[in-house]
Amino acid sequence: MTHTLHRQGIPENLGDDYVILAMSAKGINEAGSAEKLREVLRLALRHEPVNAGDMKTGNILEKTAEEIIERVTDTSIVHVVFNDLDAVVQVLGELKSADLGVSIVISGLFSGTRECCQSAGLELAPHTVEYSLGVWGAKERLPDEQVLQLSTMCGHGMVSFNLVTRMVEEMAAGRLTSEEAALQLAEPCVCGIFNPARAARLLREMASNEPVSGRRHGTACLRGAEL
Amino acid sequence: MRIDADTCVGCESCIPYCPMAAISLVEDAGHAVIDSDECVECGVCLRSADCPTEAIAETANPWPRSVRGVFSNPLLEHKETRIPGRGTEEMKTNDVTGRFGRGDVGVAVELGRPGTGTRLLDVQKVTSAMGELGVVFEPSNPVTSLLTDRKRGDINPDILNEKVLSAIVEFAVKLDQLPAVLSRLMAVAPGLETVFSLDVISRVEADGSIPVEGVVRELDLPISVNGKSNCALGKPLASED
Repeated sequence: MTHTLHRQGIPENLGDDYVILAMSAKGINEAGSAEKLREVLRLALRHEPVNAGDMKTGNILEKTAEEIIERVTDTSIVHVVFNDLDAVVQVLGELKSADLGVSIVISGLFSGTRECCQSAGLELAPHTVEYSLGVWGAKERLPDEQVLQLSTMCGHGMVSFNLVTRMVEEMAAGRLTSEEAALQLAEPCVCGIFNPARAARLLREMASNEPVSGRRHGTACLRGAEL
Repeated sequence: MRIDADTCVGCESCIPYCPMAAISLVEDAGHAVIDSDECVECGVCLRSADCPTEAIAETANPWPRSVRGVFSNPLLEHKETRIPGRGTEEMKTNDVTGRFGRGDVGVAVELGRPGTGTRLLDVQKVTSAMGELGVVFEPSNPVTSLLTDRKRGDINPDILNEKVLSAIVEFAVKLDQLPAVLSRLMAVAPGLETVFSLDVISRVEADGSIPVEGVVRELDLPISVNGKSNCALGKPLASED
């Protein structure tokens, strides 16, 4: 499971965070899919994503795009992260035209993904959706909402709460810019699904004590009219 | 993971990197130490903390501790799924696999996320509760491979005290079973020492409606504003039959 659906935030700070994932189905259209997945990466990388990678190889912040593309296999899951909705529309449109036959999933605000799919000429309704119903259990163990909004951008939980706090302290001390701190947070996320552009913005808000949200541990919810 | 006491210079640079906050400084000794009971063997400290003296090293982790790394280190691939990480293809390839058909609901309970980690004993609290409801656990899911009784949801007792970064309990039910499943999960939640992230997967009807929404609203549960949508570009498309 990619954890992108559990990225925490509010519509105002999730609007620059979209992930496109591509993979083939084991035992069905898996054989020979590596070249199709490579083409997804080549196509998407032309639209200046803020991050991208293959879970098995790593990400474009650490490795060259050529290296990642070359090492894609039939069982890879490749992904590309955008902070620009227009780029997502263009990529989806090109993927539709390319007709590669691998599965494509878009993760982000449902209002935005719906707009993207319609603008790109895809089916009006997606095939399948996955909804996050929030976090349950011992929530008293969690830090505040701002830390979670940054930490949950790593799909495997590699970005610790304490590292987020440390980066804010480093910025406050003038030792790091928000962009530098965001890249340090992105580094443990080996597969490259972390969004450093959104992270830099959230870090600036944290460092300036601007409230991201009045809620603690909440889930920004769809209202009936938005469904 | 371990930190070599003789090599470590006590700079503390590795401490904030640990997702489980398992690294601390031994003040009197002037070096850092990893609490092995809390360490989930995710490898972040080794890969990312950039230790100036290379004092961090992997340890041999024989059974039952070996289970920690495979549920915590995303670079390790599960033999059950052939996917790095802790989950399965789930809805990502549903346009091709048809794994979740109309009237089906996929349920995923990811214990330990965000950021707390989980003992497998807590995972068993969920699998046991779901086993009592008669759910069929996803056979290709890594947690299912730990079950010694897949009907009851019993986990191998050897590993119940092992801590992992997260573990996803996955299964599919019919839509009319979903209220009982979600209600039971809400009843289990207060007895856990960790958190879980909860999600549901649903086919979208031809008219664009998503039946699972009604059930979730009836139970007064939240649906996040963001999530995943399968764009139906995979081929061959799964049969509707």
